[in-house]
Amino acid sequence: MFDRFDIFFVQQLINGFSVGLVYALVAIGFTLIFGVLNVVNFAHGEIYMIGAYAGLLAIVFLAPPWVALLLLVLAAGIVSGVALERAAFKPFRRFRDEASLKSKAMRESTLLSSLAVSIVVRESVEKIFGADMQAIPRAYADAMQEPISLGELAVASGQIAILAAAILMFAALQWILTRTDIGLSIRAVAANPLGAQYVGVNVDRTVIATFAIGSGMGAVAGILIGLYQGTIFPAMGFAPGVKAFVAMVMGGLNSIPGAVICAIVLGLAEAVATEFFGQGWADLVAYVFLVLTLVFFPTGLFGAGRERV
Amino acid sequence: MMTTRRSLLAAAAPAPVAARVAVAQPRRILIGYQLPLTGEFSQYGERFRNSALMALDAFNRSGRLPVPVEIVFEDTRSDPREAVAVARKFVDNREIVAVLGDFSSSASIQAGRVYAEVGMPQLSQTASHPDFVKISPWQFRNITTQAYEGPRVAEWMRENGVRRVAVVAIQNDWGQSVVSNFAEAFRSGGGEVVATQFFNPGNREFRAILTEIARARPDAIYIGMFYEDGAAFLQQRRQLNIRVPVYATSSLYEPKLVELAGAGAEGVFLSTTFMATSPEPHVRAYVEEYRRRFGSEPNMFSAQAFDAVNILLEAIVRAWPEATRARVREELARTRDFPGVTGVTTFDPETREPAKTLARMRIENGQFVLVR
Repeated sequence: MFDRFDIFFVQQLINGFSVGLVYALVAIGFTLIFGVLNVVNFAHGEIYMIGAYAGLLAIVFLAPPWVALLLLVLAAGIVSGVALERAAFKPFRRFRDEASLKSKAMRESTLLSSLAVSIVVRESVEKIFGADMQAIPRAYADAMQEPISLGELAVASGQIAILAAAILMFAALQWILTRTDIGLSIRAVAANPLGAQYVGVNVDRTVIATFAIGSGMGAVAGILIGLYQGTIFPAMGFAPGVKAFVAMVMGGLNSIPGAVICAIVLGLAEAVATEFFGQGWADLVAYVFLVLTLVFFPTGLFGAGRERV
Repeated sequence: MMTTRRSLLAAAAPAPVAARVAVAQPRRILIGYQLPLTGEFSQYGERFRNSALMALDAFNRSGRLPVPVEIVFEDTRSDPREAVAVARKFVDNREIVAVLGDFSSSASIQAGRVYAEVGMPQLSQTASHPDFVKISPWQFRNITTQAYEGPRVAEWMRENGVRRVAVVAIQNDWGQSVVSNFAEAFRSGGGEVVATQFFNPGNREFRAILTEIARARPDAIYIGMFYEDGAAFLQQRRQLNIRVPVYATSSLYEPKLVELAGAGAEGVFLSTTFMATSPEPHVRAYVEEYRRRFGSEPNMFSAQAFDAVNILLEAIVRAWPEATRARVREELARTRDFPGVTGVTTFDPETREPAKTLARMRIENGQFVLVR
């Protein structure tokens, strides 16, 4: 047992931490829309994929500097987020009567509409670009995939970039949510859409803004992770989307710090699990965590329960 | 009135005979092709369809049969459940005399059970799981299996002085057969398999597996996966600075592997039945026409499908004019020394396993180079 705690174990922890960061990066935008705003959205993985493809197109045709690339992808994410909101969510807000606004079925119907949009988008991208992995121009791929040796340990340059991006996004989001007017209205709409409307919050605008912010972050996550893993393909959003969902539920749905911490715990647990049983079983870890959380901590590990009227 | 009825009866009486003649002399011959045209594996299905259309056009132009042959393509996403639904559809269509596909062993085997029940010859270009041809005498394949490839790779490693091997394979029927066939042959040659890892399809994060393997300190790593997983695996191996030689299954022979994995792909050993850079004239003709028509490079999968379609067409020609399902099956079993782009192919009449020649390759400076 103790012979396992060697240099390889430390490497395994580094691997796990970086996987966790990948999940966290996806989970941040996801939790903002799904958890904080409390809108059931299953198209975040496709926004993530669109971000990767938009970035790839920019790289192939413009070869922009890094800052410009990230800004372009951010813009693509914001545009597709707003479009997604328009297509899959706004039609369900047409009914302004109190019964519809309070109706759970009404709220959850976006589960299907967002899923439908996600399938249409994924299949269209597949039709246009093909289902296989896209080749990434070497200059950009190498920048994210360069090995950095630390003695016997190794990290990739992309892992450091993803760590930086995760910290930056997390800080930005916390700042937006707690220090800005739009953050205040997002929290107000999340707590009670009807009440927010009564006190003069523009619900439509708030929802659109949330989608813009969350999707912009999702798209940036997509290009960063796509370049780092060297895998850009239409179905790329599915696996991290599922893990981000688990992290969000574990973190208590409405807590972004909770989702980030749980994402990292999830990554670490998966990597360490490989030490004890085959990697084929490591996916089980996420689902076991999900079930355990739901059974023993129905409000999540970091959730304070939702303020509801 | 009576006469009319009698004449109707009289006309009806020889009808079965007429029908039998009609079966023997159809206006066209239909072949079913079940393949993934959407979903995760659609790039393979696309290649199969491209090659099939090439083979079919050339065949119909040649006028070797008085009637045209047509192929009905049905999308299964290579999902075993959809494969069964398509198989039912094909067997119900009395015009279809034989079926090609599916892509994955899992989908081919599930569909194969339907074909076995009804009696429909099935020829898969890629299903390499050992159990596939064991379903019934109606199953054929045009790909050498892991039972054929595994021992040859094991032998190659022994010649290169490899004693300790770590094996990584995809968690599905095919991946299981990669590991079992290779490990058995390698152990019986006195080698040791020091680590075995399976990963779930769709997983592209191999760092945990690589770290776990590195601890066992193998002389070589043998990987059984598709080129996309392989590209991610090889990249991450380079990032983790693991300098162990890698041997790969023939499924990694794909020019895009080098494009995707870059420097990570350097030095990988693999065997193959098809080489796009082969100087043989019929291979060059195939590669050039494929390139011209579809604007992309053919790979082993496209070549495998091209040969499978041609083998089936040959069998139909030999069965003509009695192109029934049973006759086509008999003729498929008689395939001998078929000169395809994936080498000279012979089907064993009993086991229905193909025999082909395997070439050894290595990736050097971003190119697949013939080793010997």
